[in-house]
Amino acid sequence: MAHIPDGVLSLPVLAGGGGLAVAGLAVALRRLREEDIPKVALLSAAFFCVSLVAVPVGPSSVHLLLSGLMGLMIGWATLPAVVAGLALQAVLFGFGGLTTLGVNAVNIAGPGILFGLLLRPAVRRARPGLAGLVGGACAAAAVAGTAGLVALSLALSGSEFVPSARIILLTYVPLMLGEGAVTGFAVAFLKTVKPEVFLEQPLPVAEDRGAEAPSPVPSGSVLASRGDAP
Amino acid sequence: MNAAFPAFRALCAALVLVVLGVAPALAHRLKVFATVEDGAVTGYAFFIGGGRPQGAQVIFRTPGGADLARTVTDAEGGFSFRPSVPQALEVVVNAGDGHVAEALLAADRFGPAEAAPASPAPAPDPASALAAAPAPSAPAAGLGAPAPPASAPTPSTACAPDTAVLAGLVDAAADRAVARQIRPLLEAYEAAEGRVRFNDVMGGIGMIVGLAGTALWVSARRRSGAGK
Repeated sequence: MAHIPDGVLSLPVLAGGGGLAVAGLAVALRRLREEDIPKVALLSAAFFCVSLVAVPVGPSSVHLLLSGLMGLMIGWATLPAVVAGLALQAVLFGFGGLTTLGVNAVNIAGPGILFGLLLRPAVRRARPGLAGLVGGACAAAAVAGTAGLVALSLALSGSEFVPSARIILLTYVPLMLGEGAVTGFAVAFLKTVKPEVFLEQPLPVAEDRGAEAPSPVPSGSVLASRGDAP
Repeated sequence: MNAAFPAFRALCAALVLVVLGVAPALAHRLKVFATVEDGAVTGYAFFIGGGRPQGAQVIFRTPGGADLARTVTDAEGGFSFRPSVPQALEVVVNAGDGHVAEALLAADRFGPAEAAPASPAPAPDPASALAAAPAPSAPAAGLGAPAPPASAPTPSTACAPDTAVLAGLVDAAADRAVARQIRPLLEAYEAAEGRVRFNDVMGGIGMIVGLAGTALWVSARRRSGAGK
């Protein structure tokens, strides 16, 4: 459901998503530190593989996204990780599409980055059990955010594509639960054996503070590119 | 501290089971299977990961884009449609949540089955009488290449109509038999086409590793360049 194929979305939505993705990539790559590159690649590979494993649920089937976990672990770098995974899925499997790459990447990575950055301080402070709960909530919220963005992309392209409440209930609720459980266990485990995974980002505290300050600049450019698109 | 370990082991075991359980049918993507039987389009939509969309919108349209008919899939994800004129058709299934798939049926898939009843002879069999009801003689004559030359001179000669009708009947029967035989093959092909292959997965992972390596190489070069 998160992989919208070619030929469904209208041109302004495609251009807007593409612009957002390019602006986000610029921000993410500028903030990407050399020592984080292997971690980003690892999570990108995990995203690439886990989206290919579909689990039948009712009349449809779902797959994990891991966007919440990525947001917690690598923050902004979630976007390049997702773009790499999606591009390969589109080229190798016809999964999604190249024209919708920007929209799909923003739909999947956006909520993960948002909730990951919001909840990371809580995960950093909490003990493993509680951190797992927070991680699970983060993942479930990211899936809900992706569902909302997919519905928004479809609605902006023409009302006949808006998913019905039944589809959302059948596919997104089980996905939220599954994604929350997997991410929760993963976060609790990482917090137990390798807590510095969540500490690594704020190591240069000034830079993390700086993250709040420069963000108006990129978001300004994001707005500008969205303004140009339609 | 160690409490998380059994839970994680259980999770890993569950994940492995899930992965093994769905290994033959990977990927999550909507596809359409459509075939022509007796001049009617039948088929179904399915998710490669499993499941079939119920109540999904189905649009039958010409490749140019003009909608001919709309319907929704039944409980098995199936649909059927009998076009009034044999022509190339596009079947588009929209599950409503961003999953859209389409299948193209070329005009010659309909050709001979419809060309036979276009002959002016009074239909002796119920099957061709049914199909002849819309009487699409003009387009059929243009599309069914082999049959019209035989049917055109039929009114003038006395003996030819029987041969033409017989040929039409044989054609229709052969079409039905072939359609019945190759349907499982077409279904298997549609299902296999979207299947994820291990080689492709490994290739994708290799690509990501290569990207990371390139990024590290670039940043290392930049740093050593700055150090000099």
